[in-house]
Amino acid sequence: MTAIAAITSRHPALWRACDAASNEQATLSTGHAGLDAELPGGGWPCGEMTELLTDCSGQGELSLLIPLLAHASRHEGWLAWITPPHLPGMSALAAATACTSRLLVVHADTNGERIWSLRQALRSSACSLVIGWLGHADTASLRRLQLAVREAAIPLILFRAGHVAQLASPAVLRLQLSASAPGALRIDILKRRGRPASRPLHLSLAAPVRDTGDTHGHPAAPGPLTLVA
Amino acid sequence: MHWLALVFPDWPLQALFRGQTHTFPQAVVVRQRVVALDATALAKGVRPGHGLADALALAPTLVARPRSITAEHAALRDAACCALRYTPRVTLDNGGLLLEVAGSIRLFGGMDALLRQLRTDLAGAGFHALSASAPTARAARWLALGAPGQCVSDLDALPGALAPLPLHAMEAGTHINTLLADSGLNRLAQVMALPRNALARRDAAALRRLLDQALGHRPDPRPGFEPPRSIDSRLELPVPRHDADVLLFAVTRLFNAGCAQLAAAHAGIETCLIELEHEHHPPTPLTLTLGTPSRDARRMILLTREHLARITLPEAVSALRLSAPEWTPLNGHSTDLFGPHSPSPRQRREACSQLVERLRARLGDDAVHALSVRADHRPECVARVAEPGSSQTAAAAAGRPLWLLASPQPLQLHDGHPWRAGRLQLVSGPERIESGWWDSDDLNSPCPGDALRDYFVAIGAGHERLWIYREHAPPHRWYLHGLFA
Repeated sequence: MTAIAAITSRHPALWRACDAASNEQATLSTGHAGLDAELPGGGWPCGEMTELLTDCSGQGELSLLIPLLAHASRHEGWLAWITPPHLPGMSALAAATACTSRLLVVHADTNGERIWSLRQALRSSACSLVIGWLGHADTASLRRLQLAVREAAIPLILFRAGHVAQLASPAVLRLQLSASAPGALRIDILKRRGRPASRPLHLSLAAPVRDTGDTHGHPAAPGPLTLVA
Repeated sequence: MHWLALVFPDWPLQALFRGQTHTFPQAVVVRQRVVALDATALAKGVRPGHGLADALALAPTLVARPRSITAEHAALRDAACCALRYTPRVTLDNGGLLLEVAGSIRLFGGMDALLRQLRTDLAGAGFHALSASAPTARAARWLALGAPGQCVSDLDALPGALAPLPLHAMEAGTHINTLLADSGLNRLAQVMALPRNALARRDAAALRRLLDQALGHRPDPRPGFEPPRSIDSRLELPVPRHDADVLLFAVTRLFNAGCAQLAAAHAGIETCLIELEHEHHPPTPLTLTLGTPSRDARRMILLTREHLARITLPEAVSALRLSAPEWTPLNGHSTDLFGPHSPSPRQRREACSQLVERLRARLGDDAVHALSVRADHRPECVARVAEPGSSQTAAAAAGRPLWLLASPQPLQLHDGHPWRAGRLQLVSGPERIESGWWDSDDLNSPCPGDALRDYFVAIGAGHERLWIYREHAPPHRWYLHGLFA
């Protein structure tokens, strides 16, 4: 055991499969304590690609990012939204303390142009957060995106359709989002660094969540883990 | 005084094509005689002075163009603009340049470093120069022509350096050259050794004057070069081409020269026009719009690449023209003491505008925007498309969805209940939003007409929360307007 501990302390990039995560990576808190506890490093990874897979809009998938948006708006730089499926609700964003004046909306028709736009946004030092809605993308272009985001060292969130869960992706974090009840978001962690997740998470997003809010997790009771904001 | 002379070998060809090489040999002809040629043509056996027919016999694929004095003037002007970065005293001299660099040598870290940078700049604009430097302008020019690469820093060392030069380096004219050659003279040393009167008596007094100027015995005033206050340069392609990378290469030449000119004038441009000329069609215009004034050639080249990838050309391009008549003052900026690790607000602003212009160059102007807000109770009127960087923060309102549909989507009715892949359950509402009659007359407004609606929050079949409304007016249709994403 001590030999292993010595090795892992000398090479911080090494992690043991029974540990949740390496702690080297810079992260931004998700604003939900229960989710933070399950994510390697305790939040959304900076300089890495995160995929959120969802099939149905309106289940709270964007509310999940509200604390991140609020955090990113406190920094200089733009929040780039590449091909959002609908118009962003400005009043709701403002209510969630996200800075709406630094929103940059980009419409691109083809997937190639979307990936190109994402790479441009990542490569320029103008953005503090990039969110993209992406359809089908081949591994090579995803890999290029990953390289771009590593250099940019900002979070890149990609919304993709649920069926791409079957396909391989270089994203370090993949979450499948669905609704278990009205206003309750079920999160299946499909891929993360470290030990694979066994249970889905349930977040209640009915009320607007502040990133300083007092989210707390109930210890594991029989059945799914439940979190109340 | 220390003069640096630049001469351009095969100048008529360099001026015409600016270093655009091609698999075909290239030559410039005057009255059916070859006056300048490239290495490919030279390798095929073509020599300066050959007739065009002989040259074509040796190299059947030879691209021969007539000499263009206009192109040579324009090219020399562009080269002079590149040189203006190194000294304010630049002189055009018979197809070459003279730079007075005594004050700049230290700034650029020595003569060698200055020359290296100058050559890089000239190469960027497509020019290749031979150089020499000397305390007098004329001696520098002669050395550049006769024995390039020399650097004479002392006036006393000049006679020794000039002595071995051939006579043609003096550019004294064929008449005098013949006269001297007939007298058995072929080196400058021999001419310098002649008694003064002997030259005057043999109708070569002009030669004596040139020698005196070269050796610094006689003043040699030179008019300074005044850079033009607008960019208008044209570059021909050796062979009409379609390929974007060939065009981009040619554009790079023009931008490098143009940006050197801007740098010399402490100016920048916000917009410029590239015209792609065709043989049988009117030119294809390409307008580049930069978010902020700039003289960064790399940035403009990247933008041009996006534009070139987007357009379709009616025919191969035979020549390019770059014009930018409108200049704005642009001062240089100092670099950050602490390095580039944390971008300053100014750098970030520039990065923002560069990002917007790059995205717009490829996706179109309307595809990239920010959202501005105005106080309006109708949800569809709150957000408006705005120029990035000009919008304000929205006023917060509770109970509004994060997604708004661009246009409300009609919902079906089943047994009097709104339906969307299943019956919708209304969980809260109604919230009445009405009135907007003041916009009714103006059909161009984004919200024509009155809004008379009752909004509800509904739960769909997949547990999704929807924002739907019912119209007041009969037939009380239901619409989906937003999603609580």
